[in-house]
This record gives sequence, C-alpha cells and structure tokens, in this order.
Amino acid sequence: MDIVEVFKEATSGSIYSVFQMAIIVIPIMIIMQIAEELDILAIVSKFLGPMVTPLGVSKEGALPFLVGLFFGITYGAGVIIPASKDGKLTKKEILLITIFLSVCHALVEDTMIFVVLGANGIILVLGRLAIGIVITLFANKILPEDKSYTKVLPID
Amino acid sequence: METVLRGAKKGINTTLELAKTIVPIYFIITFLNHTPIMLWISHLFSPLMGLLGLPGEASVVLALGYWFNLYGAVGAIMTLNLSVQQITNLGLMLTISHNLLLETAITKRMGAPTWLTMSLRIGMSLLTGIVFNALLSLIL
Repeated sequence: MDIVEVFKEATSGSIYSVFQMAIIVIPIMIIMQIAEELDILAIVSKFLGPMVTPLGVSKEGALPFLVGLFFGITYGAGVIIPASKDGKLTKKEILLITIFLSVCHALVEDTMIFVVLGANGIILVLGRLAIGIVITLFANKILPEDKSYTKVLPID
Repeated sequence: METVLRGAKKGINTTLELAKTIVPIYFIITFLNHTPIMLWISHLFSPLMGLLGLPGEASVVLALGYWFNLYGAVGAIMTLNLSVQQITNLGLMLTISHNLLLETAITKRMGAPTWLTMSLRIGMSLLTGIVFNALLSLIL
C-alpha cells in the first residue's frame, strides 16, 4: 500500500468528518442550553405529566423522564436524585424510568449524529421511542408492585 | 445572548471531544482497510452482519459504539460505504445500545443492575437490527 496516499485519505476524511459533526453539534448545544436555562422541560412536564402514567410512572417522575429523554441519561440521573430524595418516587417507578432511559435517551443529539451520516431521523426517533415504551410497559407488568419510596445515591 | 454563548462553548467543547475520538479511529480504520486484517474481520463476521443487512466490516462499528461511544462508531462509519438503509439500521441499533462501559455505571447508580441494562440494551439492539433490516427494505 502507498502509505502517503493512505495518510492523505485519512487526514482529509477525518477533518471532513469532524467538520460535519461540528456544524450540527454546535447549533444543537445552543438550542439545548436555551431550553435548559429557560427551564422549558419543567413547564412541559406539567402538561406531559399525565402521558407517563400509562407506563407506570407517576406525574412526579415526568421531569426526570423528560430530562433524560431529551438531554441525556446523565442529566436524567441528575434530576432523579433530588426527586427521589423528596420521597416522591417509588423504587419500581425509578427502575421503570431507568429501563426506559437506558434504551431511549438524548433523543435529539444521538439522532442528529446519525442524520448527519445520512440516516432517516424519523425512523430513528419513532423506532427508539416505540422500543422504550414496549419494554417499559412489559417491565411494569412483570415487576412486583413496590410501594416503598427510595433514595438514589448521588453520582460523584 | 449569554445563554447562546454558553451553548456555543459547550458545542465547541463537544466537537473537540469528538475530534479526539473520530480522528484517531478514522486513521486506524483507514489503515486497516488497506491491510488484510480488515478482510479477515470482515469474513469472520459477515454471516452475523448479514442478518442485519450489513457488511462484515460494520462489526467494527458496532464493537466501537457498544463499548466506547457513538463518536467512535461515527469515525468508523465514515470510512465505510453504506446505503441510507444500512446507516439507518446501524443508527437505530447504536442509539439503543452505546457507551455501555460508562452508561451502565450511571444506570447502576439509578438502581438498575449492570447485567440487566447491558443485556437489555445489547439484546434489544440486535433484535431491532434484525427486525428493522427486514422492515426497512420494505419502507425505504
């Protein structure tokens, strides 16, 4: 193999890849920052609260649910800790939220990464939401009822 | 306005972070593509990847995405020549299951055992890949 040609190919290809990601990641981060600082999800969760109840999560769980869904699992974990400290969430609810978020989180950022590469974003969003909802409904059915309230250990 | 600047700063930091992953992986895979090693990997995994409608080389993408992160997978995808259907299927599989080393540590803190989230995510990812490969060839 011609090492110089391969090196050229890798250099131009990788710079192009990073550039492609930058033009999508930077605007998304700006929009997410605005949403975060205006506390848009806290307002949205008041309206969307009832939508999470069919999944076995009470409306108190709507905020960590939505934060994780849109911003990412680390943020979701960050919000679930104060919510659980207030004793508003049962052990089962927290497990259901965690199961849902483990397969379905950071919906905007993760999807955009693949849209840049040419994937169909609608299929990615709807597919992942459907899978998250199905496994959460299933987990809600098979997990034993647990009324005890619990706390989540903070993440260092 | 300050919010926009803070967001832009986060975006630039994320870009730098992902560059640290994408660039080395892009280099390694491009070099591997010119050696027989990639052919061996490709041959070894092509039966399994065939179920997902993907070429054998895509096994490297899945391995990088599952254990490390999506940007590592992106670096590898960029070196391959895949169709819209293949990238969509790979995207769905990888958005379901990625960055397992780090994220299972987070979900463990939230109270879900590592074996549960790990097997759930890899299992759902592979299952979805097989099912969607069949479905997507009908839709797209």
